[in-house]
Amino acid sequence: MADFKKIEENLKKEAKRLLEAGEVTVVLAYSKGFDEKHPMPYAAKSVADIKNIVFNEYCNHNMARYLVRYPQGTKIAVAVKAADSRAVIQLIQEEKVKRENLVLLGIPVYGMKNSKTGEVIDSKTTSGLCNPVLYDILLGAEVHGQKIVSPYEVLAEYEAMDKDARWEFWKNQLDKCIRCYACRKACPMCYCDPCFIDQSKPRWADKAPQSPGNMMYHLTRFHHLAGRCIDCGECSRACPVDIPLYLFHKKVAKECEEMFGQAAGMKLEDKPVLVDFRVEDSDKILE
Amino acid sequence: MSRIGVFVCHCGLNIAKTVRVSELAQFASTLPDVVVAKDYKFMCSTPGQEMIANDIKEHRLDRVIITACSPLMHEQTFRKVLAASGLNQYLLTIVNIREQVSWVTHDIEEGTSKAKALLNGAVYRARLLAPLTSRVIDVNPDVMVVGGGIAGIQAALELANTGKKVYLVEKNSTIGGHMAQFDKTFPTLDCSACILTPKMDSVLQNKNITLMTYCEVTEVKGFVGNFDITVQQKARYVDHNKCNACMTCMEKCPGKGISEWDESLVKRKAIYIPFPQAVPQKPIIDKEVCTYFLKGKCRLCEKVCEQKAIDFEQQDSFVQVKVGAVIVATGYDLMDTRPLVQYGYGKYPGVYNALEVERLFNSAGPTGGKVTLRDGKEPQTIAILHCIGSRDKNHYEHCSRVCCMYSLKFAHLFKEKTSADVYQFYIDIRAAGKGYEEFYNRVIEEDVKFIRGKAARVAQNTDEPGRLIVEAEDTITGKFVKLPVDMVVLSPAIVPRSDSKDLARLFNLSTDKQGFFMERHPKLAPLSTMSEGIFIAGVCQSPKDIPDTVAQANGAAAEALTIIVKDKMELEATTAMVNPASCSGCQNCVRVCPYGAPSFNYDKWVSEINEALCKGCGLCAAVCPSSAIIARHFTNEQVLAEMEGLMEF
Repeated sequence: MADFKKIEENLKKEAKRLLEAGEVTVVLAYSKGFDEKHPMPYAAKSVADIKNIVFNEYCNHNMARYLVRYPQGTKIAVAVKAADSRAVIQLIQEEKVKRENLVLLGIPVYGMKNSKTGEVIDSKTTSGLCNPVLYDILLGAEVHGQKIVSPYEVLAEYEAMDKDARWEFWKNQLDKCIRCYACRKACPMCYCDPCFIDQSKPRWADKAPQSPGNMMYHLTRFHHLAGRCIDCGECSRACPVDIPLYLFHKKVAKECEEMFGQAAGMKLEDKPVLVDFRVEDSDKILE
Repeated sequence: MSRIGVFVCHCGLNIAKTVRVSELAQFASTLPDVVVAKDYKFMCSTPGQEMIANDIKEHRLDRVIITACSPLMHEQTFRKVLAASGLNQYLLTIVNIREQVSWVTHDIEEGTSKAKALLNGAVYRARLLAPLTSRVIDVNPDVMVVGGGIAGIQAALELANTGKKVYLVEKNSTIGGHMAQFDKTFPTLDCSACILTPKMDSVLQNKNITLMTYCEVTEVKGFVGNFDITVQQKARYVDHNKCNACMTCMEKCPGKGISEWDESLVKRKAIYIPFPQAVPQKPIIDKEVCTYFLKGKCRLCEKVCEQKAIDFEQQDSFVQVKVGAVIVATGYDLMDTRPLVQYGYGKYPGVYNALEVERLFNSAGPTGGKVTLRDGKEPQTIAILHCIGSRDKNHYEHCSRVCCMYSLKFAHLFKEKTSADVYQFYIDIRAAGKGYEEFYNRVIEEDVKFIRGKAARVAQNTDEPGRLIVEAEDTITGKFVKLPVDMVVLSPAIVPRSDSKDLARLFNLSTDKQGFFMERHPKLAPLSTMSEGIFIAGVCQSPKDIPDTVAQANGAAAEALTIIVKDKMELEATTAMVNPASCSGCQNCVRVCPYGAPSFNYDKWVSEINEALCKGCGLCAAVCPSSAIIARHFTNEQVLAEMEGLMEF
């Protein structure tokens, strides 16, 4: 278990230093919500804001989500856990943000909890990573010796289902969707404006929360995130009706990694895998 | 409201056999906005075209749908009919009910039903079509020929002789290719060098040809009429403008490399000219074996060079070449037969491959034209094994086409130069070509022994150490043959160049199952490729002999001419455009475009498409997550309407 108090202290300390020195104009971190279990994303813009910063085991939000909200060239410091740092890398690969404009405050942590269920989230999402893949300043000691979960282990039950069963499974799950778009809002890689689903010419799908439109929305979103999902799991935790969206993303990520030997957001020098062509690429996708 | 005419073609029985064409026309007349629907035996014939033209006028049609063969066949024909009738040519829709319907089923119910669904979709889409205007662009009158073998040389000379400028790019330090390695050519037995070297020299003398040896294409941008190609000039370490080919450097050089031209049978110097008639007749330094590059000391060549032509500081340089058309003539490799361990190539010194034997026969070769084994002895018994790796399901399924003939030629030359017994182990003798069968008969009469059966194995002869044994089944007598021999000649499969995949990627060429470049149409467009303005000639397309290669080269030159003789050309209007309001700046379009048409505007934070470069392939529109890209003629609305029509049925 990580020392959350220590991380919070360091987070405040670094935020203060960066804002005071004018190295950044905003620090993306967390603040207290209506109770301890529900911290909020927080943008500290001045030294006076720093007292509001908190960090505890419920600070799950992927703060990389908020990077693209700022105009290009804004100097931003952002608190990143393991998966969040992958999101930053992926965004850099996609040229949405530039590395030189970012200060990454790395948080090595194991034992983050789902505020709804209280379960440790690292067992299902975040690919078993505890330490940020990329950071400038590490806010605590690296976490070692924790149980390393194979990123794809949680797929076992899902993969045991045959094609028809999977279709049934998703039909039932997606039927629950109320089209609040919280998944889209929580996702750091969902930055399209406008999203295809909001367009009227052509109208890609029905906007009412009913089966065919739900299916169109989610399947297209899955497709748009293929090779890009960094497994933070925020979509599934944001979902008010508990659709296990991470399962689909993870399955696609697994296929993608097997086929092209590249996981999303792991290396700065990688290119977005599905829009990059290499002569040695697998043709399995055509079979 | 639009006024659509539907014209259903029978294509004789090609379509009518598995699609009820009159029922299809009847069905069409019930569809929305269709004002006339007819079927006819041959829509592409003059009466068929006249019927369409008349109906356009009579029924005041503003959309025409033709259900017939693939648009690759007759789209242009029917577009002209529309244009002549005063309709914009992009208001034509072709529904392919031949290649995609009648030819893929025997069931008339299935065929008719699928044709109806496709037609229904086409009507839905046609209603949303918009008139488009073709673009007119300037054409660059120069041509690039890639590959300086006989195909490339021939194509370059043909083009240059019409007064056009040609850039001939060759990877090696000399042109000539494989033909320069051969001794005699079948079936006439004229000396290969004697017929090739005058052509090589003509290339050098021709003012219209810019010869670029020791060069490789590294990037191809642009499109038909306006290619912008980057060529890498590899460092030769010899300034060819200063060198006067006195060869003193080569005499003094202590470095030893392996002669590629002599198929590794002998050594050459580190500073070298591949062979005496090389063009250009100027040396290069092989960095891999040069004593100076390896040990930092020597520079003997520099000391003896009176022209001060040696330049160890030389670097690779890059040249931009702009041309209107490209001919790719990059030739072939022989299959590496070492993995076929049963034939012992690379293991037993007595086993040779075909190109090595060509060099043994050649008077400029390692033995001065004497046929001797690696130990210097003359072979007494020689076996020539056909189809090594080709016509073989485990390796290459294709027939390499020339091996039968050159194996016969080898037999003849062995008989001429030695007193050896010569055996051919063959599956069939394929001697289809002018004078080939006659040559086959001549060789039979020269007491060459033919054993019909593919050799199974070459083994060490345990009775006589140093000699070999060829094992095969003689399929005529049904007996198992074990033949003791001194020399085994393998006729390996002719395979695509090892770097042909990279080249295919550079020039956007497709490759067939074996990896040879694909022609646009196997019969009617054998030299064109799916990339407009890029043509192929010679063995890079498929194995063939010299006469066929030369004929193809001439053909490819003529094809290239048809493009570059025009000052201007019309391009398809079906390009993509960006709706900046919807662009989310993900740059997927920039990354996937094979033509480099989209670029990202960092000030406006949106992608922009250069229409001059866009070929309308639609990749960008497909990957755009916020559907900001509109592919003209295939807009999202049009495609969705077509799908709706398809699925409704």
